[in-house]
Amino acid sequence: MSEDCCIEFEDVVQRFRRIKERPDTLREVFAKIRHYRSNYQVFEALKHVSFRVSQGQMVGIIGRNGSGKSTVLKLAAGVYRPTSGRVLVKGTIAPLIELGAGFHHELTGRENILLNGLLLGLTKKQVKQREERIVEFAELGDFIDSPVKQYSSGMYMRLAFSVAIEVDPDILIIDEILSVGDLGFREKCFDRILAFKAAGKTIFLVTHDARTVQQYCDRALLLHTGVLVADGAPDEVIQRYEQILGTRAPAPQVATVVKG
Amino acid sequence: MGELVRETYRYRELIWALALKELRVRYKRSVLGFVWALLNPLLMMLVLTVVFGTLMRFTIPHYSIFLLSMLLPWTFFSQGLAYSVESIVGNGELLKKVRVATLVFPVAAVISNIINFLLSLIPLMLLIVVLRFPLYWTWVYLPIPMLGLFFFTLGVAFFFATINVYYRDVSHIIQIILSAWFYFSPVIYSLDFIPAKYHWLFRMNPMLYVLNGFRLSIYYGLLPSKPSMAMSLACGFLALMIGFMIFRRYEKSFVYYV
Repeated sequence: MSEDCCIEFEDVVQRFRRIKERPDTLREVFAKIRHYRSNYQVFEALKHVSFRVSQGQMVGIIGRNGSGKSTVLKLAAGVYRPTSGRVLVKGTIAPLIELGAGFHHELTGRENILLNGLLLGLTKKQVKQREERIVEFAELGDFIDSPVKQYSSGMYMRLAFSVAIEVDPDILIIDEILSVGDLGFREKCFDRILAFKAAGKTIFLVTHDARTVQQYCDRALLLHTGVLVADGAPDEVIQRYEQILGTRAPAPQVATVVKG
Repeated sequence: MGELVRETYRYRELIWALALKELRVRYKRSVLGFVWALLNPLLMMLVLTVVFGTLMRFTIPHYSIFLLSMLLPWTFFSQGLAYSVESIVGNGELLKKVRVATLVFPVAAVISNIINFLLSLIPLMLLIVVLRFPLYWTWVYLPIPMLGLFFFTLGVAFFFATINVYYRDVSHIIQIILSAWFYFSPVIYSLDFIPAKYHWLFRMNPMLYVLNGFRLSIYYGLLPSKPSMAMSLACGFLALMIGFMIFRRYEKSFVYYV
């Protein structure tokens, strides 16, 4: 891996056992043994994907639902291990994948900050040091000492985002999360993300929204049915993306043809 | 085993926070809160004392103390198991999103229950004083059987939590296993009640050795013999080794099954 490279995917294949009739109970297992059938199908979520990301790049990953975007992120975050190929990651990484995954509804915001911070790899001391900044950024006021089940979904997301961004990793992973929260807070989040980028850190952004990628990213990756079909400047990659979308949804195109 | 110690130490803050979370959640939204951790065993003890002290008389003097000396550690074992079996599947959503050492979940579940167990010894002492039963000095030896019991519970917890990831049947069957195991262990009775020709069978139950020290120290006021203490620790270590080995072997694929 070269000096400035911080994420490298080398011919990565990720297969899953797609649950077709995977036995979940012993009874089903016995039924399977008796009938001698295989109980799952192999599903290839990523097919020989290779790319490398240099430090300080902000990379947008786009693609239709089920194209393998989240699988790439989970491999980078170390949640999955590739079936074959290699994933190399240099530096600490913080996933903002479905925020608030570690939150417990009965605990207060403050208690959740500690728990979530520890889950994301901080020490207790580090969490305590950052607590005030987190509370302030999340704009929760007195609610910080109420159980999070009383939070509105916007408050919940704000708190989760604030904790994750304060982990201050070398690589930040953002998965479709900025659709929540009001406009003001979204701008605040993007300011933070851009400040993060300005500090020379690497960002992975997954989104359906082509405009976000055009606006903020240096580079885009386009995934389609598990294949990396385009990798380059956001404008070009988004054009390819629109082509792909178009082939699957021909209706508007037909209309144009008729008109022309 | 070295890995277990290293990782437990490395994630100690997270484990502790998770264990406290479990306790906090258990007692939250109740008026008395943490007091329940003391009150609950105390009330249970009162019921047992009334039932066995007045209604059903056994030949064993102070039967309630006799019973509780093993029932409390058994309750820790069975509750610790019930919580930890679900701990990996229950945190499945988290495992799919954040890279986190899976072992923190079963370890935290067992630790939160041992805190409960330690708290329940306070009402037991209270009861002993009220009943004018001697509070033996041999209590100071309790940490040894506790260590054996803790290791044993953790080992069994690793084992069942692992299988539960693949076969959810485990969480149903565990209650049956526990209740059969309970009657097979001399908790409500003494091994002396069993005809000598069946003793060999009962001696195959590791729980016999793990629990033995508790009754000796609390009820009989006797110092557990060295072989007995060694046996309790050996059972604990062995269970932990086997349980952890199996857990380690499958841990990496949990994320695909939870």
